[in-house]
Amino acid sequence: MMNKADIAVIGTGPAGVSAAITAVQRGKSVLLFGSAQLSAKISRAEKISNYPGLPDVPGTELAAAFKKHLRSAEINITEDKITNIYDMGGKFALQGASSEMYEAAALIIAVGVVPSKPYPGEKELLGMGVSYCATCDAMLHKGRAVAVIADSPDEENEVKFLAEVCERVWYFPLYKDKPSFAAENIKVLDDIPTQIRQKSLSERTLVTNKGEYDVSCVFILRRAIAADTLLPQLKTDNGHITVNRFMKTNVKGCFACGDITGRPYQYIKAAGEGNIAALSAVEFLDAK
Amino acid sequence: MINKIENSDLTAAKAANLAIIDFSAQWCGPCKMLAPIFDELSEELEGKAEFFGADVDQNPDAAREFGVMSIPNIVLLKNGELVNRQVGFVPKEILKTMIEEFTD
Ligand SMILES: Cc1cc2nc3c(=O)[nH]c(=O)nc-3n(C[C@H](O)[C@H](O)[C@H](O)COP(=O)(O)OP(=O)(O)OC[C@H]3O[C@@H](n4cnc5c(N)ncnc54)[C@H](O)[C@@H]3O)c2cc1C
Repeated sequence: MMNKADIAVIGTGPAGVSAAITAVQRGKSVLLFGSAQLSAKISRAEKISNYPGLPDVPGTELAAAFKKHLRSAEINITEDKITNIYDMGGKFALQGASSEMYEAAALIIAVGVVPSKPYPGEKELLGMGVSYCATCDAMLHKGRAVAVIADSPDEENEVKFLAEVCERVWYFPLYKDKPSFAAENIKVLDDIPTQIRQKSLSERTLVTNKGEYDVSCVFILRRAIAADTLLPQLKTDNGHITVNRFMKTNVKGCFACGDITGRPYQYIKAAGEGNIAALSAVEFLDAK
Repeated sequence: MINKIENSDLTAAKAANLAIIDFSAQWCGPCKMLAPIFDELSEELEGKAEFFGADVDQNPDAAREFGVMSIPNIVLLKNGELVNRQVGFVPKEILKTMIEEFTD
């Protein structure tokens, strides 16, 4: 069940892809986490005019070229969202939304940036009736009412899963094209959540622009998880991970690259930093 | 040694001077990582604290009583009163320090 590698790379944007390629080329084993379709930010760009060697390349073509490069380097993508990272002193343990655990001696964080602010109460109640992982925590709310807030249709399977375990699911999709479900205990709402409050040891109140919902747990399923929630010891500044020229963070053996380290937000900057992060991680491992 | 809690019976844990309860489940990945650490600490801190293990599927009432909403979930009881809690996996040294803060 435990999957191990020398280096875990989180994120399949240009930063993570570049880091994985360099790390493997330097003889290290790599676990690359993210969507097999790669970062949506690559394919969504209409055309990219400043990527050397590929003038005016459409984003979809750049994504296809990245995928081809990964295949030829024999790098597989592990399609799992990392929800927690634990520094075990000398190695890192990573927990996926699938509830699978992974282990690596070095870590490269290339998760990009998605502007999202935590709801008031979210951080304080995390693990105490606010959860980022349906698979991990559903069973603790068996037979009770829960709320789910999600920013992409990818999470709809989690909603169905929760409905099998819980008595009622209030679903708050934050995207267009609201879904409908066959299960009668799922109610899809178009309210805008604003705040989460502790009601009692066993109940939370989700406040929206239209009303209040008392539930056992509020599941918040976002594409991005804040860096300092992933790994609380990480030094960040305004949502960006603080790194030096070698992409080193303040946590030993942990490196970061791409948009998550700060502006400018550019493909080539992300790919370049991915290269540096991988070389630094290789140097770190070889010095051990 | 770890005392297994059954039928949500918390009598022994509440009667202890200092009780450490590990709420976990078979299907929980991080719980499996924590188990050997909890085992080791129960040996190292023998006589200073009593260690208990509670499977949340078999002890739903106990889990509810302590508001266990995510696992692993380690609860520290001093003379039956909840004094501290750790949600999620923790490295051994940090957990040890957390417990030692309440030993006599
Ligand atoms: C519409 C648009 C057009 C753009 N045009 C240009 C341009 O012309 N030229 C240019 O240089 N730049 C452009 N950019 C900026 C560019 O997209 C970014 O700078 C670049 O994608 C950053 O790459 P990255 O690898 O750091 O992060 P991202 O591309 O954001 O990739 C991060 C990936 O990590 C995944 N991830 C996040 N958290 C986790 C987790 N916990 N577990 C697993 N996976 C996770 C995300 O889902 C995502 O797929 C454009 C951006 C947009 C939105």
